[in-house]
Amino acid sequence: MKYRHKKNGELDLFKIRMSDAKLLRDAVTAISTLIDEGTFVIGPDGIKLRAMDPSRVAMVDFAMQKTTFDEYASDQETKICLNLGELLKLLKRAGKDEAVELYLDEGTGQFVITIRGKYIRTFRMPTLEASEEEQGLPKITFNAKVTLTTDGLRQSLEDVALVSDHVRIETDGEKLAMNAKGDIMGANIELKKGSDALLSVEATEPSKSTFPLSYLSEIVKAAVATSDIVTLEFSNDMPIRLDFKQTYDGTLVYYLAPRIEVE
Amino acid sequence: MLFQSLTELCEKLSATTKRNQMTENVADFLKILDNEEVEPAVSMLLGRAFPKWDQRTLDVSWATISNVIERLTKTDWKEFSATFKKTGDVGSATQAVFEVNKVHRQAALFEEPLTISEVRKVLEAIAEATGQGARERKERYIESLFGRANPVEAKYLVKILIGEMRTGFHEGLMELAVSKAFSVPLKTVQKATMYTGDIGEVAIICKKQGAQGVSNLSFTIFRPIKPMLAKMAETLDEPLREYGGKAAFEYKLDGARIQIHKLNSEVRIFSRRLTDVTRSLPEVVRQVRQEIAVDKAILEGEVIALGQDGNPLPFQHLMRRFRRVHDINTMLMEVPVKLFLFDALHVNGENLIDFPYLARRQKLKEISGNIPLTEQIITDDVDQAKQFMRKAVDQGHEGLMAKRLDGPYTPGIRGKHWFKIKEILEPLDLVIVAAEYGYGRRHKWLSDYHLAARDEESGSFYMLGKTFKGLTDEEMEDMTQRLLEIAVRQEGHVVFVKPSIVVEVAYNEIQESQTYECGMALRFARITRIREDKSLDEADTIQRVRQIYEKQFEKKSRLNRQQYREG
Repeated sequence: MKYRHKKNGELDLFKIRMSDAKLLRDAVTAISTLIDEGTFVIGPDGIKLRAMDPSRVAMVDFAMQKTTFDEYASDQETKICLNLGELLKLLKRAGKDEAVELYLDEGTGQFVITIRGKYIRTFRMPTLEASEEEQGLPKITFNAKVTLTTDGLRQSLEDVALVSDHVRIETDGEKLAMNAKGDIMGANIELKKGSDALLSVEATEPSKSTFPLSYLSEIVKAAVATSDIVTLEFSNDMPIRLDFKQTYDGTLVYYLAPRIEVE
Repeated sequence: MLFQSLTELCEKLSATTKRNQMTENVADFLKILDNEEVEPAVSMLLGRAFPKWDQRTLDVSWATISNVIERLTKTDWKEFSATFKKTGDVGSATQAVFEVNKVHRQAALFEEPLTISEVRKVLEAIAEATGQGARERKERYIESLFGRANPVEAKYLVKILIGEMRTGFHEGLMELAVSKAFSVPLKTVQKATMYTGDIGEVAIICKKQGAQGVSNLSFTIFRPIKPMLAKMAETLDEPLREYGGKAAFEYKLDGARIQIHKLNSEVRIFSRRLTDVTRSLPEVVRQVRQEIAVDKAILEGEVIALGQDGNPLPFQHLMRRFRRVHDINTMLMEVPVKLFLFDALHVNGENLIDFPYLARRQKLKEISGNIPLTEQIITDDVDQAKQFMRKAVDQGHEGLMAKRLDGPYTPGIRGKHWFKIKEILEPLDLVIVAAEYGYGRRHKWLSDYHLAARDEESGSFYMLGKTFKGLTDEEMEDMTQRLLEIAVRQEGHVVFVKPSIVVEVAYNEIQESQTYECGMALRFARITRIREDKSLDEADTIQRVRQIYEKQFEKKSRLNRQQYREG
């Protein structure tokens, strides 16, 4: 790929091209619901990002394999930390079916985004100090696994948000229930096996946990554009794992800590 | 280091009034911190989320904090109010609520106790949450902090969030503790704090580089320096006597004091309280860029608002400029400002603060281009000083500053190198119509008094302001008793009373006000004595107050918005 060569003949750290910028834009939107700054690891196999939000209540684990891109070249791992809000502003400038190219200008340390459509636009943004810490995943034994439509989940959460700021998610292996109790109102939502929204449900034992809607609704709202199907895994009073199945070769997984009662 | 250790230290500090012991405790604590924890810990111990020079703010209201507490504890606030009444301390009240009621908490993904570094990180996230959904984000972060906090940690988190520690451990003691912890002479620590504007940063340099490194510190352009303050003098003789017969007198302008930092073509302006107000004063920035020829400078000056006739406008109209960042252009037209310089602290790499006043003033004159300096005379003749004072007041200014000719610039210190002499307005006799319970030490007493003047015609009372200044502790205690005896009703922490107690009230100015029905308010009101000898009928009337208010404009210009709009 000729564009990878700098003037002096050296290879760029990476150079990436995606013919439809929407995919990247939606992914960054989904990530930015939890964090303001993110360190992307750009390696030979693709792009990854794993980060906890500043309050350590939620985590996003994102990966986009190199097959997702139209052109992808990276021989080694490069860490790039970016302000996601700024990145998103630039990516939003790309219209439908416009291509986006990414590379790092090593001379200036700037991240360069080129949008190729009716005309060519090149944006430069500063890179921030990348975090060196390798973020581990929480180790949890899940007792329940439920797969449903992302839209079904989003609508259920919209319903419960009317009465409360948190929701109890519950399953006995037969159905998925979402309960909310406000000061004066309550909401119960049941998705039974065989219903349109519920695709599968299994549980080694009945499980329930309560989660803050301030996080959960935001996560689902942000991920809905990237995914039609979501798998929830949870246990009693443990973090929940939300795996949004991506249309491309990649992952978008969130972990969210529960709200727990204090004895 | 765990955040819990810091809160335990705070509890120890609150439990004693012995300054030695406090300093000792803090010094021991500072010694065992990791490098990156030193500045955050120092800031938090002083009730600051960030170092002092840092322009970031949390922007968290009590409403937001109390929302979160309510969500976590389902409290009905009775517990809170009861403890708040007992202690007058929001932190302690929060602790009480958490001890009794904490029924839910937001867990974290990795359940570990809070550390100092982590609390700082979340505070940063709170400050940096701006734009759409910022309030929700801030709430989320605060909730996660409280979720992981024990009741004592919650107490101090609240205190840090609202910026009030009340452990009795203040910046001066922190300088002592830092000096002790890292074996750096106190004078060196103090000087470095003055240069850098923050003891936290000094602490870490002390730890890493010792006395040698700290003494290399100097002013940093764009980091504001605490302004030097002046003592009040009653007469013009006082400074002349104090300074050995001869003094410099300058107009004391009724404006806003500003600190101007310039590095090449970049200019930033800080208010007296060290907030960045650059965006509120674009024309001053332009003028400084144009007129000040040196590359590096830290200067002090005063901006005053001008009326159409060129006379100064009342202070409050100028302050509107500082609060407003949008809409500056409209304000530019409405309230033009004029800059006068009066001191130079740093010019082209040279610190001038140890230079005598005359030398600094000379330096300032050399570099100030066409920007005027404050009007000044140097005299040993009190009559000449009096004449100068009259001229200043006649032109609508506040009075005079007196400066010792060989005095250095002492940042943050209210010493006798500078005096301020103000023209005193005659005090008013006003009536107490209500009073509020105070905060902290004053929480048991009705100590915030609503002052009102009587309407000659209708006989009703019009409020002109509130004050908690002027009475001694005993007088306040006594006043509380008297007020409770004549109380007619209570609304929240405000007790309304039958108008009957007359007090003499001094003030600096009568301002136009939208807060009070009569359209006027006293600026800096303070009670000078209780007029037991005066009855209600003898108290000053609202008509008299209005007369004094109008009289101010014989010297001051009035803001006439209508004129501007039409013009």
